[in-house]
Amino acid sequence: MNVIDCQKVNKGYRRTNALEDITFQLTDQKITGLIGRNGAGKTTLLKILAGLTKHKSGEVNVFGKNPYNNLLVSANSILVDDQMTFPDSLTLEEILRSAPAFYKKWDTQLAVRLFQYFKLDSKQQHSKLSKGSRATFNMIFGLSTHCELTMFDEPTNGMDEAVRTDFYRALLKDYIAHPRSILISSHHLSEIEHLLEDILLIHKGKVVLHADLDEVKEYAVAIQGPVADVEKWTAGEEVLHSKRVDEQKQYAVFKKNSKLERARLEGANIQMLTASEVCMYMTSESKGGIDDVFK
Amino acid sequence: MILSNDSSKPIYVQIAEWLENEIIAERFTANEKVYSQYQLAELFNINPATAAKGLTILVEEMTLYKKRGLGMFVAPEAKMMILEKRRNETLTKMVTDIVLEAKRLSVTKAELIQLIHKCEEEIQ
Repeated sequence: MNVIDCQKVNKGYRRTNALEDITFQLTDQKITGLIGRNGAGKTTLLKILAGLTKHKSGEVNVFGKNPYNNLLVSANSILVDDQMTFPDSLTLEEILRSAPAFYKKWDTQLAVRLFQYFKLDSKQQHSKLSKGSRATFNMIFGLSTHCELTMFDEPTNGMDEAVRTDFYRALLKDYIAHPRSILISSHHLSEIEHLLEDILLIHKGKVVLHADLDEVKEYAVAIQGPVADVEKWTAGEEVLHSKRVDEQKQYAVFKKNSKLERARLEGANIQMLTASEVCMYMTSESKGGIDDVFK
Repeated sequence: MILSNDSSKPIYVQIAEWLENEIIAERFTANEKVYSQYQLAELFNINPATAAKGLTILVEEMTLYKKRGLGMFVAPEAKMMILEKRRNETLTKMVTDIVLEAKRLSVTKAELIQLIHKCEEEIQ
């Protein structure tokens, strides 16, 4: 069953297009990474899926319903981000105690244990928390809802290294115990890639790639060698990125193909890329890089 | 073992190789039950689907067999099959890499063979 089904979704803010013809489906109980550069449209997409903003055109279905102003969707999904607000009339402890009224699968034991483990102060108000503690509390809240669709928007912003590692571990363990659909956005793919089954890569409001993590990793390779050779090896190929290393040498990233083995035997220096590098090259401007700024 | 994200090998391949190493070292013996995808996921801190892919490779290569509802078990001939496979595939590929690197560094064939002898002596 598709938890999310988006067809040609568009969204604009004033004159700019935040999302353009977004089409994808998310099947049940997978952890999917929503990856993209700053301003790619990750947050806008998540907000539409959570029913917090309205899209302009196209069709959005979450659990088969349009999420905007829909009670079924809001009871079964949660978006964890740094803009989550909780009433200041409640302490953290009271917030956690009121949660089961809103989320029927709320895991009190998990919430209490995580709360104690991360040593949060139960008498504090949410708005008075430091950036890191607030992110930690939001994460605890989001995990404990056990919502059928759990979405995290840059959840580790503000968390220190140790809390990050603990968070990812907690997410994985809780997912194994209670499988559900998790969508997690980040611009640090390398930090979360071990947790992911799928990657949804967006760039400038469009879906660039939606694939299995390993497929992404094997999508492209880098090759380095004498300029003429590299040109020969990549002729007719879809080159994602290329740069002159020095006078004689050229570095190029291109889609994997069958000619590769021959190039290897001809002495090409072939490097496999990480999923994070593939995503980076696929979303970079084709002309030049940071080096050109300093020319 | 710590999995490497930077490695040229996908994580599921690393999982399959780790299990193969455990079988070669006889930490899993013939007809013994191996870890489930969820145990592997916890152990290596990876997505259970990735762990399942690693197990599937070994089932396809008949190193492991499935018992419905019970889990995955080591095939009786598993160790022999892995050793055979490693000799044929892995070693051949590694030797190809060595030969290529030697060519790049203009090391002659005789020098290369001499180097192999030397390494062998040092290990023994």
